[in-house]
Amino acid sequence: MAMRELVSGGAACAVPGTSSSSNPLGALANALIGSSSKTQERLREIPTATATTSDGNLYAGVEEPFTAALPGSEQHTLHPNAQGSEFLQGFRAVDQSMFSDAWDDIQRAQIPHYQGATGPTYFPLEKPHLQQDFEGPPQRVLSNFLHSFLHSSQGSAPFRPTSLPVLGLSEGDKQCIRDRSSIMARHLFADKSEDFIHAQVNALLSSLDIDNDIRARGPFPGRFPELEEYWNESQGMKPGPLGADGWVSEFTQHQVPRDDPSMWVQSFERQHGANGWAFEFEHEQSQLASIDQMRGSNISKLAAMEQTRMLAHTLAQNNDPKFQNSKFLQFVSKMSRGELTIEDNQFKPAAFSAPGDWATEYEQQYSGGQSWAGQFANEQAKQCPVCIYWSLNFSYIQLSHGPHGWANEFAAEREQHGLAEDEWVNEFSKLNVNDWSEEFERQVADGTFGDASADNWANAYDEYLNEQAALKQKSETSRGVYVFSDLNPYVGHPNPLKEGQELFRRGLLSEAVLALEAEVLKNPENAEGWRLLGVAHAENDDDQQAIAAMMRAQEVDPTNLEVLLALGVSHTNELEQAAALKYLYSWLRHHPKYGAIASPDQPENLYYADVARLFNDAAKLSPDDADVHIVLGVLYNLSREYDRAIESFQTALKLKPRDYSLWNKLGATQANSVQSADAILAYQQALDLKPNYVRAWANMGISYANQGMYEDSIRYYVRALAMNPKADNAWQYLRISLSCASRNDMLEACDSRNLDILQKEFPL
Amino acid sequence: MANSTQLKSDALMEQMKLHMSTDAGKQLTKKIGLVYQINIAPKKLGFNEKSFVVDLKKGEVKEGKYEDGKPDATFSFKDDDFIKVATGKMNPQIAFMRGAMKIKGSISAAQKFTPDIFPKPSKM
Repeated sequence: MAMRELVSGGAACAVPGTSSSSNPLGALANALIGSSSKTQERLREIPTATATTSDGNLYAGVEEPFTAALPGSEQHTLHPNAQGSEFLQGFRAVDQSMFSDAWDDIQRAQIPHYQGATGPTYFPLEKPHLQQDFEGPPQRVLSNFLHSFLHSSQGSAPFRPTSLPVLGLSEGDKQCIRDRSSIMARHLFADKSEDFIHAQVNALLSSLDIDNDIRARGPFPGRFPELEEYWNESQGMKPGPLGADGWVSEFTQHQVPRDDPSMWVQSFERQHGANGWAFEFEHEQSQLASIDQMRGSNISKLAAMEQTRMLAHTLAQNNDPKFQNSKFLQFVSKMSRGELTIEDNQFKPAAFSAPGDWATEYEQQYSGGQSWAGQFANEQAKQCPVCIYWSLNFSYIQLSHGPHGWANEFAAEREQHGLAEDEWVNEFSKLNVNDWSEEFERQVADGTFGDASADNWANAYDEYLNEQAALKQKSETSRGVYVFSDLNPYVGHPNPLKEGQELFRRGLLSEAVLALEAEVLKNPENAEGWRLLGVAHAENDDDQQAIAAMMRAQEVDPTNLEVLLALGVSHTNELEQAAALKYLYSWLRHHPKYGAIASPDQPENLYYADVARLFNDAAKLSPDDADVHIVLGVLYNLSREYDRAIESFQTALKLKPRDYSLWNKLGATQANSVQSADAILAYQQALDLKPNYVRAWANMGISYANQGMYEDSIRYYVRALAMNPKADNAWQYLRISLSCASRNDMLEACDSRNLDILQKEFPL
Repeated sequence: MANSTQLKSDALMEQMKLHMSTDAGKQLTKKIGLVYQINIAPKKLGFNEKSFVVDLKKGEVKEGKYEDGKPDATFSFKDDDFIKVATGKMNPQIAFMRGAMKIKGSISAAQKFTPDIFPKPSKM
């Protein structure tokens, strides 16, 4: 029999020949709670509580064990009838059908043994029933056996192992019993020594043929994935490597390193709530106070909570861990749990907010009336009794320890085991509305937050989703991994290198890229194939791919000067100074003429000044070598000495006037030193020499944009994109220019990368 | 080049500094007229931050914290994320949602912080 049936009292638990279902574990809890004979008396007076029973009676039924469970608490007991009916009225006032349905279902799931006065009741009606008959259906045997364990607490006599028939408990069942009984034992024998408790539990477990061993501490089998998922979502964190086991196993994992057998007991305690149902009453009491609030105005809050909860749910589906940790998601989660409410369109933390104190937050959450678990129960009520059971259990986690109790316990635990606990605590404290949401609160109160902001957020989120697919690819390229195109028509071409060289010569860069990819797929050791591929990408305005291709070329041919220079340039473009410096220095070291200037060993740390000095020496050595001047120009770009860089490139251009990439380098340097007008002239030179030079077209656009001439910049960006629709930078810049030029009407075409529309609208 | 931990943002800020002297840069002071302080961390938000003041009132970019009172908004970024935002690779709101951008100060001022205020780097 599955545990879920045992605990939920599902149909399969029904004892044959009786009208009711049994719930051994529930009975265990109730027996524990209601172990005073006085309560037994009262319980017997409780009318049959079926699904149709009036709520008042149900309520009373739950309340009784509570008062009994806390010796001395009777004096403080609230008046059940008055409060109970008020509570229930409040309940109805909020939502007639949902809440009461949920309530009924919950009741049915929890206290099935109150049902069917005619059926067998598993309550030990009289104390002397210590040795019960351990025969009959397994669940009944188990139930009775567990009761006898409980009774042993009343006397001081140790519990004795008993031989039982085979119960056919699954691993999960055993684990549940083990954990729960250990927890209960700790409460039952609170005044006894640890050893005594262990002995008791061991006796129980050995009778049930359950190993009280270390395996128990492993992750819980994912028996209730729905709920765990929900928990994870509501916490705004993903299960991570642990999968469905969620926070439970995450917590256990933290605990494992400490080899203390009581550890997992505590952890389970946290999960299940040590005193079982008793504290449900407390939960309801705390609800009582808030029921009045919940009437009327708070309905809208609930609606908002529900809305945000849905949102949180949707957001939590996203796998990006960064996003999962984002404040926004936490904020939404917080809203969804009612920790943050919106009143008169202002964000407010729920009452009594003490930022930094998550315990109080929890308190608010519950005094706020409607915990997420409760919501969950409401929703799931009809479909899934097990869910209810577990969601309630989850609320007990918090409640049974009482917000303060839990906090205290946690604080104590934390002191004990430091780091691991801290992580957990940190998870929770992440949920704080501390910095930014307070900031928002203030801003919103000031009325500075326009109505448009909501739209902005929605749009931003949409964009974010759109971004995701692209990002996956990008993150790979940024790591220097070359990303091949799909569906390459040149694969299988007899001589893709020759084809690629020809295409490159004719300026068909994107085609050349495909042919060269086919080449390097065929001959991965072809340095020239990789190099030209890198050059094609650089000219096509894609530095990430250029770097990836050039790195492959360099692997094959580590001393190729063109490759080293290209890597230096691309890394400079990407503002990666250290890498750029490394390759430029390598260029010098491997140069047949200047290699002697450099020290034979590549130093660990390159200093820019040293490298620049060496290149100046080289330039003096042979002032007519255009390449040295080019590298110097790149170096000066790196140090943002633009005037010197321009000088170097101009010197090189005198020696190599037909080098289109050199004209572009000059233009880019001039543009970066805000000589945009000059830059445009230089780019024009480059484009005269190479009309399909995508990078130069894109740079043109940048220069116009930087001068505030957005309409013009758009035309150049579109031109560049028409030649290489994969030039992501140009798309991003195009978007900025479109909005700056107040051409929001074209943003959609830009976002959908519809070049036909854009080219028609912005011809050059 | 004084600092051994070079930031990518240094290059962009340098360009921004130059940009402020151009007509387009002067337009910004008219259009926005706010003071931003931008804290850039090399690796981890809040650690080893280098501050820049982008003063779009006076049309200046300076290293260091703002000393003439309070900036209208203060942003914290990681180096890479700042580049992404300033070059339009990442929308500031997305950056904010991801926790890649932290904001202090006036939200309305922060909302005027858009990628178009920064000049775009040209590529060699």
